[in-house]
Amino acid sequence: MLTQFALASAERAVNRVLSLDSTAQARLAPLAGKVIAITCSMPAFTVYLIPLETGIQLAKEWQAPADCTLSAPAKLLIKLVTRTDKSAVLHHPDVSLDGNSALLMELADILQSLELDWEYEVSRWLGPVPTALLSGHLRSRSRWLSQSAQSLHLNAADYLAEESRALVGHIEADMRFTEIDQLTLDLDRLDARIALLLKRNQKPL
Amino acid sequence: MSNPHQPNSNEPTTHFGFENVPESQKAEKVAEVFHSVAARYDIMNDVLSGGMHRLWKRFTIELSGVRRGNKVLDIAGGTGDLARKFSSLVGPEGQVVLADINASMLKVGRDRLLDKGVANNIRFVQADAEKLPFPDNHFDVVTIAFGLRNVTHKEDALRSMLRVLKPGGRLLVLEFSKPSNPLLSKFYDAYSFKFMPLAGKLITDDADSYRYLAESIRMHPDQETLKAMMNDAGFERVTFHNMTGGIVALHRGIKP
Repeated sequence: MLTQFALASAERAVNRVLSLDSTAQARLAPLAGKVIAITCSMPAFTVYLIPLETGIQLAKEWQAPADCTLSAPAKLLIKLVTRTDKSAVLHHPDVSLDGNSALLMELADILQSLELDWEYEVSRWLGPVPTALLSGHLRSRSRWLSQSAQSLHLNAADYLAEESRALVGHIEADMRFTEIDQLTLDLDRLDARIALLLKRNQKPL
Repeated sequence: MSNPHQPNSNEPTTHFGFENVPESQKAEKVAEVFHSVAARYDIMNDVLSGGMHRLWKRFTIELSGVRRGNKVLDIAGGTGDLARKFSSLVGPEGQVVLADINASMLKVGRDRLLDKGVANNIRFVQADAEKLPFPDNHFDVVTIAFGLRNVTHKEDALRSMLRVLKPGGRLLVLEFSKPSNPLLSKFYDAYSFKFMPLAGKLITDDADSYRYLAESIRMHPDQETLKAMMNDAGFERVTFHNMTGGIVALHRGIKP
Protein backbone atom coordinates (compact mmCIF):
# COMPACT_ATOMS: atom_id res chain seq x y z
CA MET A 1 0.00 0.00 0.00
CA LEU A 2 2.98 2.31 0.58
CA THR A 3 3.99 1.93 -3.06
CA GLN A 4 0.40 2.62 -4.10
CA PHE A 5 0.43 5.76 -1.95
CA ALA A 6 3.75 6.92 -3.42
CA LEU A 7 2.52 6.28 -6.97
CA ALA A 8 -0.81 8.01 -6.32
CA SER A 9 1.04 11.08 -4.97
CA ALA A 10 3.49 11.09 -7.89
CA GLU A 11 0.64 10.72 -10.38
CA ARG A 12 -1.22 13.63 -8.81
CA ALA A 13 1.91 15.81 -8.94
CA VAL A 14 2.72 14.89 -12.57
CA ASN A 15 -0.85 15.55 -13.70
CA ARG A 16 -0.93 18.86 -11.83
CA VAL A 17 2.22 19.92 -13.68
CA LEU A 18 0.81 18.69 -17.02
CA SER A 19 -2.36 20.72 -16.45
CA LEU A 20 -0.22 23.89 -16.32
CA ASP A 21 0.73 23.43 -19.98
CA SER A 22 -2.25 24.15 -22.18
CA THR A 23 -0.97 21.95 -25.03
CA ALA A 24 0.21 18.91 -23.02
CA GLN A 25 -3.13 17.10 -22.88
CA ALA A 26 -3.72 17.55 -26.61
CA ARG A 27 -0.24 16.18 -27.33
CA LEU A 28 -0.82 13.22 -25.00
CA ALA A 29 -4.12 12.31 -26.68
CA PRO A 30 -2.56 10.29 -29.58
CA LEU A 31 -0.69 8.15 -27.01
CA ALA A 32 -3.80 7.53 -24.89
CA GLY A 33 -4.27 3.94 -23.78
CA LYS A 34 -0.74 2.81 -24.65
CA VAL A 35 1.20 1.06 -21.89
CA ILE A 36 4.86 1.85 -21.20
CA ALA A 37 6.66 -0.39 -18.69
CA ILE A 38 9.80 0.99 -17.04
CA THR A 39 11.77 -1.74 -15.31
CA CYS A 40 14.58 -0.77 -12.98
CA SER A 41 17.07 -3.63 -12.58
CA MET A 42 18.93 -2.15 -9.61
CA PRO A 43 16.96 -1.73 -7.32
CA ALA A 44 14.35 -4.06 -8.84
CA PHE A 45 10.95 -2.53 -9.48
CA THR A 46 8.62 -1.83 -12.39
CA VAL A 47 6.42 1.18 -12.99
CA TYR A 48 3.80 1.36 -15.72
CA LEU A 49 3.01 4.66 -17.42
CA ILE A 50 -0.33 4.87 -19.18
CA PRO A 51 -0.86 8.17 -21.01
CA LEU A 52 -4.50 9.30 -21.08
CA GLU A 53 -6.30 12.30 -22.57
CA THR A 54 -6.41 13.80 -19.09
CA GLY A 55 -2.87 13.08 -17.92
CA ILE A 56 -0.70 10.08 -17.09
CA GLN A 57 -1.68 7.11 -14.96
CA LEU A 58 1.11 5.46 -12.97
CA ALA A 59 0.72 1.87 -11.82
CA LYS A 60 2.75 -0.72 -9.95
CA GLU A 61 1.08 -3.59 -11.80
CA TRP A 62 -0.74 -3.62 -15.10
CA GLN A 63 -2.38 -6.76 -16.40
CA ALA A 64 -2.62 -5.61 -20.03
CA PRO A 65 0.57 -6.21 -22.09
CA ALA A 66 3.00 -3.29 -22.41
CA ASP A 67 3.47 -1.61 -25.81
CA CYS A 68 7.00 -0.58 -24.89
CA THR A 69 9.34 -1.88 -22.17
CA LEU A 70 12.44 -0.02 -21.04
CA SER A 71 14.83 -1.86 -18.70
CA ALA A 72 17.86 -0.19 -17.13
CA PRO A 73 19.58 0.29 -13.77
CA ALA A 74 18.44 3.32 -11.71
CA LYS A 75 21.62 5.29 -12.54
CA LEU A 76 20.91 5.12 -16.28
CA LEU A 77 17.18 5.80 -15.83
CA ILE A 78 18.07 9.03 -14.00
CA LYS A 79 20.44 9.95 -16.85
CA LEU A 80 17.61 9.29 -19.32
CA VAL A 81 15.31 11.62 -17.43
CA THR A 82 17.82 14.43 -17.04
CA ARG A 83 19.68 14.37 -20.37
CA THR A 84 18.39 16.01 -23.51
CA ASP A 85 20.35 13.65 -25.77
CA LYS A 86 18.63 10.37 -24.91
CA SER A 87 20.04 8.25 -27.74
CA ALA A 88 23.52 8.14 -26.15
CA VAL A 89 22.04 6.62 -22.97
CA LEU A 90 19.72 4.28 -24.90
CA HIS A 91 22.73 2.76 -26.69
CA HIS A 92 24.36 1.79 -23.37
CA PRO A 93 24.76 -2.04 -23.11
CA ASP A 94 22.83 -2.13 -19.79
CA VAL A 95 19.76 -0.50 -21.35
CA SER A 96 17.22 -2.62 -23.20
CA LEU A 97 14.24 -1.29 -25.08
CA ASP A 98 11.54 -3.63 -26.42
CA GLY A 99 8.43 -2.84 -28.43
CA ASN A 100 7.46 0.54 -29.81
CA SER A 101 10.39 2.77 -28.80
CA ALA A 102 8.92 5.78 -30.63
CA LEU A 103 6.17 5.80 -28.01
CA LEU A 104 8.67 6.31 -25.20
CA MET A 105 10.59 8.97 -27.11
CA GLU A 106 7.39 10.85 -27.87
CA LEU A 107 6.30 10.79 -24.23
CA ALA A 108 9.77 11.92 -23.12
CA ASP A 109 9.63 14.74 -25.66
CA ILE A 110 6.25 15.92 -24.37
CA LEU A 111 7.45 15.87 -20.77
CA GLN A 112 10.70 17.69 -21.61
CA SER A 113 9.14 20.42 -23.69
CA LEU A 114 6.49 21.50 -21.19
CA GLU A 115 5.88 25.23 -21.00
CA LEU A 116 4.30 25.73 -17.64
CA ASP A 117 1.93 28.62 -17.12
CA TRP A 118 2.86 29.03 -13.46
CA GLU A 119 1.38 32.56 -13.38
CA TYR A 120 -2.09 31.08 -13.89
CA GLU A 121 -1.58 28.75 -10.93
CA VAL A 122 -0.27 31.54 -8.68
CA SER A 123 -3.11 33.85 -9.74
CA ARG A 124 -5.64 31.25 -8.55
CA TRP A 125 -4.22 31.65 -5.05
CA LEU A 126 -3.15 35.32 -4.93
CA GLY A 127 -5.40 36.99 -7.50
CA PRO A 128 -4.45 38.67 -10.79
CA VAL A 129 -2.95 41.98 -9.52
CA PRO A 130 -0.52 40.54 -6.92
CA THR A 131 0.46 37.87 -9.46
CA ALA A 132 1.24 40.48 -12.12
CA LEU A 133 3.36 42.45 -9.61
CA LEU A 134 5.12 39.32 -8.38
CA SER A 135 5.78 37.95 -11.86
CA GLY A 136 7.06 41.35 -13.10
CA HIS A 137 9.45 41.52 -10.15
CA LEU A 138 10.60 37.91 -10.61
CA ARG A 139 11.08 38.41 -14.35
CA SER A 140 13.26 41.51 -13.84
CA ARG A 141 15.29 39.69 -11.12
CA SER A 142 15.71 36.71 -13.41
CA ARG A 143 16.84 38.95 -16.30
CA TRP A 144 19.33 40.72 -14.02
CA LEU A 145 20.68 37.38 -12.74
CA SER A 146 21.04 35.99 -16.25
CA GLN A 147 22.82 39.14 -17.52
CA SER A 148 25.09 39.20 -14.45
CA ALA A 149 25.99 35.53 -14.91
CA GLN A 150 26.79 36.13 -18.59
CA SER A 151 28.87 39.19 -17.79
CA LEU A 152 30.76 37.34 -15.03
CA HIS A 153 31.50 34.52 -17.45
CA LEU A 154 32.88 36.87 -20.12
CA ASN A 155 34.95 38.88 -17.63
CA ALA A 156 36.40 35.73 -16.05
CA ALA A 157 37.26 34.33 -19.49
CA ASP A 158 38.93 37.61 -20.49
CA TYR A 159 40.93 37.81 -17.27
CA LEU A 160 42.15 34.18 -17.43
CA ALA A 161 42.99 34.28 -21.15
CA GLU A 162 44.28 37.82 -21.65
CA GLU A 163 45.47 39.28 -18.34
CA SER A 164 46.72 36.45 -16.15
CA ARG A 165 47.52 34.20 -19.17
CA ALA A 166 46.55 31.24 -16.97
CA LEU A 167 44.47 29.75 -19.77
CA VAL A 168 44.63 29.89 -23.53
CA GLY A 169 41.80 31.81 -25.19
CA HIS A 170 39.31 30.12 -27.50
CA ILE A 171 40.52 31.86 -30.67
CA GLU A 172 44.19 31.24 -29.89
CA ALA A 173 43.48 27.59 -29.03
CA ASP A 174 41.48 27.11 -32.23
CA MET A 175 44.33 28.56 -34.34
CA ARG A 176 46.88 26.32 -32.63
CA PHE A 177 44.65 23.24 -33.12
CA THR A 178 44.25 24.13 -36.81
CA GLU A 179 48.06 24.42 -37.16
CA ILE A 180 48.51 21.03 -35.45
CA ASP A 181 45.88 19.46 -37.71
CA GLN A 182 47.62 20.93 -40.77
CA LEU A 183 51.02 19.70 -39.55
CA THR A 184 49.59 16.18 -39.00
CA LEU A 185 48.18 16.21 -42.53
CA ASP A 186 51.52 17.41 -43.98
CA LEU A 187 53.40 14.69 -42.12
CA ASP A 188 50.97 12.04 -43.34
CA ARG A 189 51.42 13.25 -46.91
CA LEU A 190 55.21 13.27 -46.49
CA ASP A 191 55.12 9.73 -45.11
CA ALA A 192 53.07 8.61 -48.07
CA ARG A 193 55.44 10.35 -50.49
CA ILE A 194 58.52 8.72 -48.91
CA ALA A 195 56.82 5.32 -49.00
CA LEU A 196 56.05 5.82 -52.71
CA LEU A 197 59.63 6.83 -53.50
CA LEU A 198 61.04 3.83 -51.64
CA LYS A 199 58.69 1.56 -53.55
CA ARG A 200 59.86 3.03 -56.87
CA ASN A 201 63.55 2.61 -55.91
CA GLN A 202 63.04 -1.04 -55.03
CA LYS A 203 61.60 -1.81 -58.46
CA PRO A 204 64.06 -3.81 -60.70
CA LEU A 205 65.32 -1.83 -63.72
CA MET B 1 -55.05 -9.94 0.98
CA SER B 2 -51.55 -10.39 2.38
CA ASN B 3 -49.40 -7.44 3.43
CA PRO B 4 -46.11 -7.44 1.47
CA HIS B 5 -44.29 -6.00 4.51
CA GLN B 6 -45.63 -8.71 6.82
CA PRO B 7 -43.05 -11.49 6.95
CA ASN B 8 -44.28 -14.88 5.84
CA SER B 9 -43.29 -17.46 8.49
CA ASN B 10 -42.21 -19.93 5.77
CA GLU B 11 -40.03 -17.41 3.93
CA PRO B 12 -36.29 -18.05 4.13
CA THR B 13 -34.33 -15.49 6.10
CA THR B 14 -31.05 -13.80 5.51
CA HIS B 15 -28.81 -11.59 7.58
CA PHE B 16 -29.06 -7.83 7.67
CA GLY B 17 -26.04 -7.03 9.77
CA PHE B 18 -26.37 -9.26 12.86
CA GLU B 19 -30.14 -9.31 12.49
CA ASN B 20 -32.06 -12.04 10.63
CA VAL B 21 -34.68 -10.70 8.25
CA PRO B 22 -36.93 -12.31 5.62
CA GLU B 23 -35.12 -12.32 2.26
CA SER B 24 -37.74 -10.12 0.65
CA GLN B 25 -36.98 -7.33 3.14
CA LYS B 26 -33.18 -7.21 2.91
CA ALA B 27 -32.97 -5.20 -0.31
CA GLU B 28 -35.42 -2.66 1.08
CA LYS B 29 -33.50 -2.31 4.33
CA VAL B 30 -30.16 -1.96 2.52
CA ALA B 31 -31.77 0.65 0.26
CA GLU B 32 -32.84 2.63 3.36
CA VAL B 33 -29.25 2.61 4.62
CA PHE B 34 -27.86 3.92 1.35
CA HIS B 35 -30.63 6.49 0.85
CA SER B 36 -29.64 7.81 4.26
CA VAL B 37 -25.87 8.01 3.60
CA ALA B 38 -25.79 8.84 -0.15
CA ALA B 39 -25.29 12.60 0.24
CA ARG B 40 -22.22 12.23 2.48
CA TYR B 41 -20.99 8.88 1.19
CA ASP B 42 -17.67 10.18 -0.18
CA ILE B 43 -16.71 12.20 2.86
CA MET B 44 -17.56 9.26 5.13
CA ASN B 45 -15.47 6.90 2.99
CA ASP B 46 -12.49 9.24 3.37
CA VAL B 47 -13.00 9.70 7.10
CA LEU B 48 -13.57 6.04 7.94
CA SER B 49 -10.82 4.60 5.75
CA GLY B 50 -8.37 7.49 6.20
CA GLY B 51 -8.34 7.84 2.40
CA MET B 52 -7.25 4.20 2.00
CA HIS B 53 -10.30 3.37 -0.15
CA ARG B 54 -8.69 5.37 -2.96
CA LEU B 55 -5.59 3.12 -2.86
CA TRP B 56 -7.71 -0.05 -2.72
CA LYS B 57 -9.59 1.15 -5.81
CA ARG B 58 -6.33 2.02 -7.59
CA PHE B 59 -5.15 -1.54 -7.10
CA THR B 60 -8.48 -2.84 -8.44
CA ILE B 61 -7.97 -0.82 -11.62
CA GLU B 62 -4.39 -2.09 -11.96
CA LEU B 63 -5.56 -5.71 -11.78
CA SER B 64 -8.50 -5.19 -14.12
CA GLY B 65 -6.26 -5.30 -17.21
CA VAL B 66 -8.65 -2.86 -18.87
CA ARG B 67 -7.67 -1.66 -22.34
CA ARG B 68 -8.77 0.97 -24.81
CA GLY B 69 -12.15 0.12 -26.35
CA ASN B 70 -13.17 -2.32 -23.57
CA LYS B 71 -16.69 -2.52 -22.15
CA VAL B 72 -16.73 -2.24 -18.36
CA LEU B 73 -19.58 -2.79 -15.92
CA ASP B 74 -19.17 -1.26 -12.45
CA ILE B 75 -21.86 -2.81 -10.24
CA ALA B 76 -22.82 -1.03 -7.00
CA GLY B 77 -20.74 1.77 -8.48
CA GLY B 78 -22.02 4.25 -5.90
CA THR B 79 -20.50 7.66 -6.42
CA GLY B 80 -18.50 6.57 -9.45
CA ASP B 81 -14.87 6.44 -8.24
CA LEU B 82 -14.03 3.38 -10.34
CA ALA B 83 -16.27 4.32 -13.26
CA ARG B 84 -14.54 7.68 -13.66
CA LYS B 85 -11.11 6.09 -13.94
CA PHE B 86 -12.38 3.34 -16.24
CA SER B 87 -13.99 5.97 -18.46
CA SER B 88 -10.62 7.62 -19.18
CA LEU B 89 -8.88 4.25 -19.65
CA VAL B 90 -11.33 2.78 -22.19
CA GLY B 91 -11.51 6.04 -24.14
CA PRO B 92 -14.29 7.19 -26.47
CA GLU B 93 -14.34 3.87 -28.34
CA GLY B 94 -15.04 1.94 -25.11
CA GLN B 95 -18.02 1.99 -22.78
CA VAL B 96 -18.52 2.08 -19.02
CA VAL B 97 -21.82 1.22 -17.35
CA LEU B 98 -22.28 2.44 -13.80
CA ALA B 99 -24.98 0.28 -12.23
CA ASP B 100 -26.45 0.56 -8.76
CA ILE B 101 -29.65 -0.79 -7.28
CA ASN B 102 -30.05 2.35 -5.20
CA ALA B 103 -31.50 5.39 -7.00
CA SER B 104 -30.05 7.88 -4.49
CA MET B 105 -26.52 6.57 -4.86
CA LEU B 106 -26.86 6.43 -8.65
CA LYS B 107 -28.07 10.04 -8.73
CA VAL B 108 -25.14 11.23 -6.59
CA GLY B 109 -22.72 9.28 -8.81
CA ARG B 110 -24.26 10.57 -12.04
CA ASP B 111 -24.24 14.21 -10.88
CA ARG B 112 -20.68 13.91 -9.65
CA LEU B 113 -19.38 12.40 -12.89
CA LEU B 114 -21.27 14.87 -15.08
CA ASP B 115 -19.85 17.74 -12.98
CA LYS B 116 -16.37 16.39 -13.68
CA GLY B 117 -17.07 16.22 -17.41
CA VAL B 118 -17.30 12.42 -17.61
CA ALA B 119 -20.17 11.87 -20.03
CA ASN B 120 -19.27 10.67 -23.51
CA ASN B 121 -18.70 6.96 -22.88
CA ILE B 122 -20.65 6.28 -19.69
CA ARG B 123 -24.18 5.06 -19.02
CA PHE B 124 -26.04 4.94 -15.73
CA VAL B 125 -28.32 2.00 -15.06
CA GLN B 126 -30.39 1.20 -11.99
CA ALA B 127 -30.01 -2.55 -11.79
CA ASP B 128 -30.08 -5.46 -9.38
CA ALA B 129 -26.77 -7.38 -9.31
CA GLU B 130 -28.70 -10.67 -9.11
CA LYS B 131 -30.59 -10.01 -12.37
CA LEU B 132 -28.33 -7.88 -14.54
CA PRO B 133 -30.26 -6.42 -17.49
CA PHE B 134 -27.49 -6.91 -20.06
CA PRO B 135 -26.91 -9.42 -22.87
CA ASP B 136 -24.74 -12.51 -22.40
CA ASN B 137 -20.99 -12.21 -23.13
CA HIS B 138 -21.11 -8.41 -23.30
CA PHE B 139 -18.47 -6.95 -20.93
CA ASP B 140 -14.68 -7.31 -20.82
CA VAL B 141 -14.47 -6.35 -17.15
CA VAL B 142 -17.03 -6.41 -14.34
CA THR B 143 -16.24 -4.84 -10.96
CA ILE B 144 -18.17 -4.69 -7.73
CA ALA B 145 -16.55 -2.63 -5.00
CA PHE B 146 -17.97 -2.76 -1.48
CA GLY B 147 -21.30 -3.96 -2.83
CA LEU B 148 -21.39 -7.75 -2.74
CA ARG B 149 -21.97 -7.98 1.01
CA ASN B 150 -25.25 -6.07 0.59
CA VAL B 151 -26.58 -8.49 -2.02
CA THR B 152 -29.17 -10.96 -0.70
CA HIS B 153 -28.26 -13.93 -2.93
CA LYS B 154 -24.53 -13.60 -3.57
CA GLU B 155 -24.35 -16.84 -5.58
CA ASP B 156 -27.05 -15.59 -7.97
CA ALA B 157 -25.23 -12.27 -8.34
CA LEU B 158 -21.92 -14.03 -9.14
CA ARG B 159 -23.66 -16.21 -11.74
CA SER B 160 -25.30 -13.13 -13.26
CA MET B 161 -21.89 -11.40 -13.49
CA LEU B 162 -20.43 -14.51 -15.14
CA ARG B 163 -23.23 -14.48 -17.71
CA VAL B 164 -22.66 -10.87 -18.83
CA LEU B 165 -18.86 -11.28 -19.04
CA LYS B 166 -17.24 -12.22 -22.35
CA PRO B 167 -15.14 -15.43 -22.29
CA GLY B 168 -11.75 -14.35 -20.95
CA GLY B 169 -13.39 -11.40 -19.19
CA ARG B 170 -12.43 -10.54 -15.61
CA LEU B 171 -14.56 -10.12 -12.50
CA LEU B 172 -13.05 -8.09 -9.68
CA VAL B 173 -14.69 -8.14 -6.27
CA LEU B 174 -13.33 -5.53 -3.87
CA GLU B 175 -14.81 -6.11 -0.45
CA PHE B 176 -14.13 -5.95 3.26
CA SER B 177 -12.80 -9.23 4.56
CA LYS B 178 -11.15 -10.88 7.55
CA PRO B 179 -7.89 -9.42 8.94
CA SER B 180 -5.12 -12.01 8.98
CA ASN B 181 -3.48 -10.73 12.18
CA PRO B 182 -5.36 -11.39 15.49
CA LEU B 183 -4.02 -8.17 17.03
CA LEU B 184 -5.15 -6.13 14.04
CA SER B 185 -8.48 -7.95 14.22
CA LYS B 186 -9.03 -6.79 17.82
CA PHE B 187 -8.17 -3.21 16.99
CA TYR B 188 -10.39 -3.39 13.90
CA ASP B 189 -13.35 -4.67 15.97
CA ALA B 190 -13.00 -1.81 18.43
CA TYR B 191 -12.68 0.65 15.55
CA SER B 192 -15.71 -0.76 13.69
CA PHE B 193 -18.14 -1.02 16.57
CA LYS B 194 -17.13 2.09 18.53
CA PHE B 195 -15.60 4.67 16.19
CA MET B 196 -17.59 4.01 13.01
CA PRO B 197 -21.10 4.49 14.51
CA LEU B 198 -19.81 7.55 16.39
CA ALA B 199 -18.38 9.09 13.20
CA GLY B 200 -21.66 8.26 11.43
CA LYS B 201 -23.59 10.03 14.17
CA LEU B 202 -21.36 13.12 14.07
CA ILE B 203 -21.10 13.50 10.29
CA THR B 204 -24.38 12.15 8.90
CA ASP B 205 -26.47 12.04 12.10
CA ASP B 206 -27.03 8.36 11.40
CA ALA B 207 -25.24 5.92 13.70
CA ASP B 208 -27.45 2.94 12.73
CA SER B 209 -26.33 2.87 9.09
CA TYR B 210 -22.70 2.70 10.14
CA ARG B 211 -23.46 0.07 12.77
CA TYR B 212 -25.04 -1.94 9.91
CA LEU B 213 -21.85 -1.37 7.85
CA ALA B 214 -19.71 -2.85 10.64
CA GLU B 215 -22.09 -5.77 11.19
CA SER B 216 -22.47 -6.55 7.49
CA ILE B 217 -18.67 -6.72 7.14
CA ARG B 218 -18.53 -9.37 9.89
CA MET B 219 -21.27 -11.40 8.19
CA HIS B 220 -19.58 -11.29 4.77
CA PRO B 221 -17.74 -14.47 3.66
CA ASP B 222 -14.01 -14.50 4.36
CA GLN B 223 -11.35 -14.63 1.64
CA GLU B 224 -11.32 -18.41 1.13
CA THR B 225 -15.12 -18.75 1.26
CA LEU B 226 -15.64 -16.05 -1.35
CA LYS B 227 -12.97 -17.64 -3.53
CA ALA B 228 -14.84 -20.97 -3.30
CA MET B 229 -18.13 -19.20 -4.13
CA MET B 230 -16.56 -17.67 -7.24
CA ASN B 231 -15.20 -21.06 -8.28
CA ASP B 232 -18.64 -22.62 -7.73
CA ALA B 233 -20.26 -19.89 -9.82
CA GLY B 234 -18.04 -20.93 -12.75
CA PHE B 235 -15.07 -18.57 -12.60
CA GLU B 236 -11.58 -19.90 -13.27
CA ARG B 237 -8.13 -18.90 -11.99
CA VAL B 238 -9.70 -17.24 -8.96
CA THR B 239 -7.12 -15.44 -6.83
CA PHE B 240 -7.35 -12.92 -4.03
CA HIS B 241 -5.04 -10.21 -2.72
CA ASN B 242 -5.25 -9.04 0.88
CA MET B 243 -4.87 -5.34 1.44
CA THR B 244 -4.24 -3.48 4.70
CA GLY B 245 -3.70 -6.73 6.58
CA GLY B 246 -6.77 -8.44 5.13
CA ILE B 247 -9.24 -5.73 6.17
CA VAL B 248 -10.03 -5.54 2.47
CA ALA B 249 -9.51 -8.25 -0.14
CA LEU B 250 -9.61 -8.07 -3.90
CA HIS B 251 -10.84 -11.27 -5.59
CA ARG B 252 -10.27 -11.78 -9.28
CA GLY B 253 -11.77 -14.49 -11.46
CA ILE B 254 -11.75 -15.16 -15.21
CA LYS B 255 -14.70 -16.38 -17.26
CA PRO B 256 -13.65 -19.56 -19.08
